[in-house]
Amino acid sequence: MIGYLLEFSQALLALLLAPLLAGFVRWVKSRLQNRRGAPVWQPYFELAKLFGKDVVMSNNASWLFRVAPYIVFASTLAVTFLIPLIAAPLPFDNIGDLLVVVYLLLLGTFFLALAGLDPGTAFGGMGASREMTVAAIAEPTIALSIFSLALGAGSTNLGQIVIATLTNPGVALSPGHLLAFAAIFIVSLAETGRLPVDNPSTHLELTMIHEAMILEYSGRYLALIEWASWLKLTIFFSLLANLFVPWGLALTLTPAALAIAVATLILKLAILGMVVAMIETRIAKLRLFRVPELLGMSFVLALLAVTSSFLLK
Amino acid sequence: MTFFLLIFPPLLAALIATLVRPYRAFVGWIGAWLSLISLGASLVFVSQVVNGQIPTWGFKLEYLNLEDVLRADSLSALLMVCVTGVASLALFLSPGLGRQVTNPHWGELAYGSNQLRRYHVFINLFIAAMLMAVSANNVGVMWITIEATTVFSAFIIPLKLNRASIEASWKYILICSVGIALAFVGTVLGYFDFVTLSGRAENALNWTVLLATAPTLHPEVMRLAFVFLLIGYGTKAGIAPMHTWKPDAYGESPAPLTALMASSLFAVAMYALLRWKAVADATLGAGYTDSLFIALGLLSLTIAAFSVVLATDYKRMFAYSSIEHTGLMCLGFALGPLGTFAALLHLVNHTAAKSLMFFLVDNIEHKYRSPLIERTRGLLKTMPWTGAIFAFGLMTLIGLPPGGIFITEFALFRAGFALHHPWLMGAALALLAVVFVSFINHLNKMLYGVPAADDINMERPVEKFSWRLALLLIPVALLVTLGLTLPAPLATLINQSVAILSKP
Amino acid sequence: MNEPLFSQLSTLGSSVILLFGITLLWRKSLHAYTDAFQWQSAALTVMFVIIGYFGNDPELYVVAVFLFVLKVLILPRYLERMEKRFGDQRESQPYVNIVTSLMLSGLLVLLAYVVARPLVLVSDLPTRGGLPLAMGLIFVGLFVVITRKKALTQIVGFLVMENGIALLAALGTFGIPLIVELGVFLDVLMGFLVMQVFVYHIHSTFESIDVDQMNELKH
Repeated sequence: MIGYLLEFSQALLALLLAPLLAGFVRWVKSRLQNRRGAPVWQPYFELAKLFGKDVVMSNNASWLFRVAPYIVFASTLAVTFLIPLIAAPLPFDNIGDLLVVVYLLLLGTFFLALAGLDPGTAFGGMGASREMTVAAIAEPTIALSIFSLALGAGSTNLGQIVIATLTNPGVALSPGHLLAFAAIFIVSLAETGRLPVDNPSTHLELTMIHEAMILEYSGRYLALIEWASWLKLTIFFSLLANLFVPWGLALTLTPAALAIAVATLILKLAILGMVVAMIETRIAKLRLFRVPELLGMSFVLALLAVTSSFLLK
Repeated sequence: MTFFLLIFPPLLAALIATLVRPYRAFVGWIGAWLSLISLGASLVFVSQVVNGQIPTWGFKLEYLNLEDVLRADSLSALLMVCVTGVASLALFLSPGLGRQVTNPHWGELAYGSNQLRRYHVFINLFIAAMLMAVSANNVGVMWITIEATTVFSAFIIPLKLNRASIEASWKYILICSVGIALAFVGTVLGYFDFVTLSGRAENALNWTVLLATAPTLHPEVMRLAFVFLLIGYGTKAGIAPMHTWKPDAYGESPAPLTALMASSLFAVAMYALLRWKAVADATLGAGYTDSLFIALGLLSLTIAAFSVVLATDYKRMFAYSSIEHTGLMCLGFALGPLGTFAALLHLVNHTAAKSLMFFLVDNIEHKYRSPLIERTRGLLKTMPWTGAIFAFGLMTLIGLPPGGIFITEFALFRAGFALHHPWLMGAALALLAVVFVSFINHLNKMLYGVPAADDINMERPVEKFSWRLALLLIPVALLVTLGLTLPAPLATLINQSVAILSKP
Repeated sequence: MNEPLFSQLSTLGSSVILLFGITLLWRKSLHAYTDAFQWQSAALTVMFVIIGYFGNDPELYVVAVFLFVLKVLILPRYLERMEKRFGDQRESQPYVNIVTSLMLSGLLVLLAYVVARPLVLVSDLPTRGGLPLAMGLIFVGLFVVITRKKALTQIVGFLVMENGIALLAALGTFGIPLIVELGVFLDVLMGFLVMQVFVYHIHSTFESIDVDQMNELKH
């Protein structure tokens, strides 16, 4: 019983933290660029605004266009039930392990791409094809990198992986872990639409990947999709934080431990947010045909991670 | 002391060539006469070794154990003679020894004084490195000197800087350096094998020590090491499929260097392979290395045979012939003691024959405009002496009696049939027949016919018999002698070498 | 000594060295190649120092000094000079494109693991975990030499291969005898100088350092 409560509160926490994280990253970026920037909770206002507005749809759009935002939001939210955000192990671990997580995320991407194609606009199609190019190399890389961790832990269950790292702290500095961290970091930048793969604040359609797919959306649909993309950012950062630096996670379900877990989670997300903001300020966007080179490099890192973990066996 | 007399003369010659600016002809003459000292030293070694001694040289400092760093057993002595013999001939026939050479194919004067100086420095260093390689006991030192030969020869392949020679030398330096690096991986793996068994030792890379501990080394590691070594030193020897640098390098470098590379350097590379083969055979039994040698040897023979058919440039043709003989020798070394004897004798004969051919090619090239076979007609008319020796040399090379190669090929095939490899020997015979026919074909084109007027350098219309041609009669005499009889010292030397290489 | 720490450090160091090697397949500019080689050699020097410390072998400190002077100071200086001359030539269209090269390098590392299995099984040194990575670096260096078109890239690939061999020797045997090691350095230096001279000749004769241009000598 308490386990289910934990799960729902974890999902709720993720849902509430996601806009805050996105706003934080934006705020750090603007401060680094010597601007005052919007306040950190601006995304909440954006969501409130969008939910209040009407939906304007193209005549050519089909049922897919209406259903896609819900699917994307639902699949991303489902992932938050399965990853160790504040505690490990989780009661839903039996339902979903790393492969389920990866493919739920892919499900969201898939439907978003379809929704980009649906209204028949040029930009939507362009965004969808670009997104698929990125996803095609990124997804196997995530799977491989977490798989390398799983090899070390002996199970693809995310909770087990975390516990294995906690019981054997030396393994956090092993080449397998470090390589996997590098690989997942590059992939997170790609999957969440951050520089150098995609500029989230661009207004030039020809440079967009993620934004191009959702150009036609408005009102509550847009709100759901934006919220889902911020949730994806939170998920990737939490994976990066908790799989590789799991200290602070609650192993027992006492209020003290949970409080510490929430605090450390916020701290880790903040650090990662600052790092990403700094990277975004320094690096320019890659030209599209160079993106597979970057992702290929992360794939090789993941492959090396797997081979070195395999050797440790 | 004898080691000093062997290796120091070419070093001295190189030093003199470096110091004398601009180049003068006496530098070349000094180098040539100094090489005779090396030849003398190698003959001294042969006599010592035939009597059963194994001279060594080394020194021992308190933290640096270099005992027995140089060692001359029968195999080394055999190769020393091969190297110094060809080296002396090459140095006497080098450019810059008073002969003014012009060739319209290349431009006014064939070589300027800077190029001649560079040539004499590096060819002597090249010879010194080869001599150190065959007298080194330490396989690490052997590797270092063989790599040094690559570097030194690469400096003088593009003696004349044109597009073709630069392309050839780039291919040569890159392929051979990479190959030698792989040979080093094999050496490291062999040392690794020794170390995991007996711990680190300063003299662990001595061949004698490796051979002694070979039966106890790990087979899997030695298998891996030998593959790397075969690929590595095989690149240097020109075994297919690592032979691609050979036609280009032989085609573009100055002829005396080509003669040295084709005979001596090739022999040194085979020597390195044989040393390691002995070690590997002691660990793995002969079957593994033999099958590798047979596979690569047959491949070399095949590629070479068909390339000779298609050859249009006579220098490249001889390069392919080298690859063919490499293949034959690999087959020979894989056929037990009988085959090894035949192959070693073949090595000696091939050294004489190939170097002879390339020296003659030098003469032909200075007379004719281009290295293409079609443009080289009427050799017997324009250069009667060269043409005659050329015909003799080529017929020896393809295995006609009374050349030595006829005897060795016969012995090789006899060994092959004795060891029950009929299909293999049949295939080799067929390929040799292909080479035979195409060589005779090319020879006919070159010897007879009337040369076109603008093809020839009309400076010296008819060839006169000079001391240079007289020198070339030495390998001819050697080949004929070896074709008719086997002198006792040589037989003892080769028998002893076979014994070294076939230790159980 | 402290075996698990030694083991981990050596595996970590070898991975870093291998990664610098794979960078050669990723980047296109000659400057990136020079940098990668310099950093790789620095990491290799650190590896030698670590092995010398944990393995109680002071000879390796001498080797590390030579390695540093040769491969971190001297060779990169020559490479930089060449880069100034030819730096505008980028490796824009190698024989195998970048993404495929990266994938193939992953496969090459896997192959290296397979090939080096007997070595790892036979050895009982704490550094044996890095042996497949050193072998992988050798293969990656070889791959760079084969598939890249610019002569300068081929030289850097060859140097990286030599680094891999040095790493293999260090990890597998705690270093080959000093005399041989010094001779190897001399050879690498000489080989590099020859190749460097040739790149200048190639440039002045062919007007580019593209190896593709050199295709006159056919059959």
